[in-house]
Amino acid sequence: MVETGHFALVLAFALALVQSVVPLFGARTGNERMMAVGGPVAITGFALTALSFAALTLAYVQSDFSVANVWENSHSLKPMLYKVTGTWGNHEGSMLLWVLILMLFGALVAVFGSNLPATLRANVLAVQGWIGAAFLLFILATSNPFVRIVDPPIEGRDLNPILQDIGLAVHPPMLYLGYVGFSVCFSFAVAALIEGRIDAAWARWVRPWTLAAWMFLTGGIAMGSYWAYYELGWGGFWFWDPVENASFMPWLAGTALLHSAIVMEKRSALKIWTLLLAILTFSLSLLGTFLVRSGVLTSVHAFATDPSRGVFILCILTLFIGGSLALFAIRAGSLTAGGVFHPISREGALVLNNLFLTTATATVLVGTLYPLVVEAVTGDKISVGAPFFNLTFGPLMVPLLVVVPFGPVLAWKRGDLYGAGQRLMAAFAGALLAVLVVMMFVDGASVFAALGIGLAVWLILGALTDLALKSGFGRVSGHVMLHRLVGLPRSVFGTALAHFGVGLTTLGLVGVLSFEQEKILAMRPGETMEIAGYTLLFDGLTPARGPNYTEERGRFELIDADGEAESELVSSKRFYTARQMPTTEAGIKTIWPSQLYVSLGDPTADGGVVVRVWWKPLVTLIWTGGLVMMIGGAVSLMDRRLRVGAPSRGARPAAEKPSLGLPT
Amino acid sequence: MLAGRPRLFIENTMLFWVVAALLTFGASLAVLLPLASRPKADSTDAHDLEVYRDQLSEIDRDAARGLIGDAEAEQARAEIARRILRLDATGKSATAPRFAGAGRAIGAAAVLAVPLISWGVYATIGSPGVPSKPLEQRLAQNPAESSVEELVARAEAHLAANPSDGRGWDVLAPIYLRTGRSAEAVTAYRNAIRLEGATADRAAGLGEAIMSAAGGIVSAEAQAAFERALVLEEGHAKARYYLAVALAQEGRTAEAQAAWRSLADGLPEGSPWREAVEQAIVAAGSRLTAGESGAASGPSQEDIDQAADMPAADRTAMIETMVAGLDERLRQNPQDPEGWSRLVRSYMVLGKPDAAKDALDRGLKALGPATEEGKKFAEFAATLGVAAATE
Amino acid sequence: MTRKQKRLSVIAGALAFLGAATGLTFYALGQKASFFYMPADLQAATLEPGQRIRLGGLVEKGTIVRGQGTEVAFSVTDMESSVPVTYVGILPDLFREEQGVITEGSFSPSGVFVADSVLAKHDETYMPKEVADSLKAKGVWQEN
Repeated sequence: MVETGHFALVLAFALALVQSVVPLFGARTGNERMMAVGGPVAITGFALTALSFAALTLAYVQSDFSVANVWENSHSLKPMLYKVTGTWGNHEGSMLLWVLILMLFGALVAVFGSNLPATLRANVLAVQGWIGAAFLLFILATSNPFVRIVDPPIEGRDLNPILQDIGLAVHPPMLYLGYVGFSVCFSFAVAALIEGRIDAAWARWVRPWTLAAWMFLTGGIAMGSYWAYYELGWGGFWFWDPVENASFMPWLAGTALLHSAIVMEKRSALKIWTLLLAILTFSLSLLGTFLVRSGVLTSVHAFATDPSRGVFILCILTLFIGGSLALFAIRAGSLTAGGVFHPISREGALVLNNLFLTTATATVLVGTLYPLVVEAVTGDKISVGAPFFNLTFGPLMVPLLVVVPFGPVLAWKRGDLYGAGQRLMAAFAGALLAVLVVMMFVDGASVFAALGIGLAVWLILGALTDLALKSGFGRVSGHVMLHRLVGLPRSVFGTALAHFGVGLTTLGLVGVLSFEQEKILAMRPGETMEIAGYTLLFDGLTPARGPNYTEERGRFELIDADGEAESELVSSKRFYTARQMPTTEAGIKTIWPSQLYVSLGDPTADGGVVVRVWWKPLVTLIWTGGLVMMIGGAVSLMDRRLRVGAPSRGARPAAEKPSLGLPT
Repeated sequence: MLAGRPRLFIENTMLFWVVAALLTFGASLAVLLPLASRPKADSTDAHDLEVYRDQLSEIDRDAARGLIGDAEAEQARAEIARRILRLDATGKSATAPRFAGAGRAIGAAAVLAVPLISWGVYATIGSPGVPSKPLEQRLAQNPAESSVEELVARAEAHLAANPSDGRGWDVLAPIYLRTGRSAEAVTAYRNAIRLEGATADRAAGLGEAIMSAAGGIVSAEAQAAFERALVLEEGHAKARYYLAVALAQEGRTAEAQAAWRSLADGLPEGSPWREAVEQAIVAAGSRLTAGESGAASGPSQEDIDQAADMPAADRTAMIETMVAGLDERLRQNPQDPEGWSRLVRSYMVLGKPDAAKDALDRGLKALGPATEEGKKFAEFAATLGVAAATE
Repeated sequence: MTRKQKRLSVIAGALAFLGAATGLTFYALGQKASFFYMPADLQAATLEPGQRIRLGGLVEKGTIVRGQGTEVAFSVTDMESSVPVTYVGILPDLFREEQGVITEGSFSPSGVFVADSVLAKHDETYMPKEVADSLKAKGVWQEN
């Protein structure tokens, strides 16, 4: 079975080569048959990669240590869930997952693209084939997960314990779905450049893919952030670490792409810019893969790195980014540009959004790569950390967030800023009220904290205002309004939800950054400490044993005002025997939307233990906001206008009209 | 059953090649079928027109819902109409197939490329002959085909589930001993004796395991085990052999030689012990003639016998001189675990536990407490009732 | 405004915005990027008191002293010279003697490095890249 998987992977590589050449040649020469090759080959290639991935997963499940990759990263006593997730908990397996997802997207284009113009479809699939062939070659040449051991050892070396967590089960696949999802946008952009024309269907086709990729990337980043927060035991949720930036840059660029694609679809403008953004977004995904896999930058995240792999990915990177940008430089001039428009309009607001987001992406890029450049040029080693990003990224984000609510309430073509301001009066009043309440009633609140809370409330109320206005609030009766609300296009809900989510995340960030409390102290069993009005009683340490680790569990009781134990919190120091590695498991008690976070340190000489306790107000909103953004993306994706690019031939527009029984 | 493994192997490999061939065939079909089928006519402009029509109907819907005003809707309709007109104006450049011949060649090359590339690449990087080896299957396969390591792992898994299976421990114990896992052998023998009852073989095995764990030194505990074996079976060869070794280790070489001689006389023809016993007798003989000078050694039996004839004070002085000599040698040349063991034992015999303890600490320091030798030395000393200074 | 003027004003606005962002970025890089030093590099370097740097090296053997409660003192060494460091907080799980570590903070007037963060990657084979490179350059540490 293992070798079948290996063979299937090689076969997928051969097919990817065919997919790279034949449809492209067909599109160039107008040969319909050759163009038609792309679809079945993409689908078969996906099936073969899936077979290969299944074979590797089976090897993990069965603890087949004759596969070197399994021996290095698994252990027969590991819980089944982590045997399965261990498949992608290492470099080779995760690259295979990367390619699997790439192939999945290629196959989806083939399946759902039957109503695309044939040449566009053929070119898109060919470009997907290039990416697939390059990465399959990368896997086969430098990171083959199917290397065998003829005389296998009887026990494996176990997975890095920090990765033995449910967060790992979901985080990388989500992140990859996002990263790789942008490859479709890239392929569409390059295909358009090859053809030298942008179809009307182009934007309609690119937007759902962008939306899907963006949705997964949002979820992946949020989940990764939460995983780091509770698993690393430092209580931090974002470290501006190169690996995090690697996923954040495509997200920022992807968010910009999402918005510029709307302009392109609705107004036939910003065509060339959107094309460039699509290329840049996927280029940043590739750059992220390179940064993570090559180890050129110091990161707190552990990955097996290998210089030869780094060089290989760098070659892929140069080839794709350089090639596509060169193609862009050659062809962009021949594409028909869209018209100009009034700055005060929906499209004007979206351009502003793009300006801010791409500049923010650039600052993150500069901050991430600057140490690399400085070291190459002067030999000095420097690090660029949170202070830099707070100083540059913050000032860019705040004005962007301030203008977010204006966008959806402005009209297309020629908007009315004064009118929009009037419509947002209620939201503004609410935000002002929030600022005043925080200033007056919250002890120790700085002006910035109050303004931050106000900004978050402004975003949340702004999103709700948008929905209220579109359903005719105040103009029609409640009954009719409800009808209208239900009948609104799903993309309107999606937009409102996503902006609402941004507001929640902002609220969480401001809450934690401004009102967090932290105490570090040594506690002996029976001692209590107080934080943010809660009393914690330390019960003591007890040894315990897990399937593949031993641990010292520190038990704490949360005491309420009456001195009764309300609930308990367990934080532990684990020791994974196979890898001889200690980890800290944080004890977290959610008092929605805030959390109490307890982390154990080293024992002290007098029989106590160092304990670090945080009160993290509103912290859960950071990730709840991410989740809401993701749901917004999903709702928007369900909008039937986005689901199908061009309507299938034969389907009459009249038949699509939903019968809502609205008064017309 | 012996033929089972090769046949299974061939079947697996055959099956793999059949699957690989089928996969290749399927993949080639994915390329071949579209190339061989009849193409559908398609026009890009028609697609654009569909999109614009759809957008028009969208405007109608939005206008009907009141999302956009009548004026805005009219404006939008006009714009889309303009786009449609522009579409009609730009060229109807439906390209006719060019390079039909080259296309056919490339098509054929593509179909051929699939099997050629895949089999070529796989031939260089694949390992078709290596079967999958799921752990459970490896542990469950015919014992005759398993490696010792696999068998031990299997037995361990079994005993972890059924720790009261005495027979399992009985089987595992000598394997542990042979593979050098002495400490586990001790546990296994103890469990076997506890669950299955003591036999001479088990008791002697336990003694051997304890001795092996102590680095080859027959401690009091090991000696007791061997003596127990002799009680259970008079003249048990292994027990008698190692009891003689114990005598030799105490420096009573002549007694040891005598014990081996009597053992050799009683051994049946073809006994596996004969060779070892005869070698031991020869070695003891040469030690006796050499007078045990030179190498680090404690006072020998002869010395002590000799000393027995001396006045008490002289006797003690003589023994102490010898021990001091050994001590001095070890200070010069500390890498001698056996010498340290003798020194500790000698001090205990002389009734100087403090000096013994000191010797233990110095010996541990010289050998390194964490080394294999150091550990064995410490264990041996523990059997004499000397404990190292706590760290 | 004519169409052309409109377009020009939009482009000018965008350029001004980009210029401001670029200026801010480089100002921030100058102010907020912290340099990385090994203990031996510090003699040659001129540091103002209070300037933030990253100090990397190995945790010197036998120098970890736990003070009252959560205070910890240790020395960071690159086998040539060593620097005393104090830190208040919980050390990372993999903080051990003779393991690579990166501390971030600044020097107090008395010459003790006061760290506000101590990084040791969550991997047992971790050697921070800067530390590894510098130690390799000095020939002190080899990759196994």
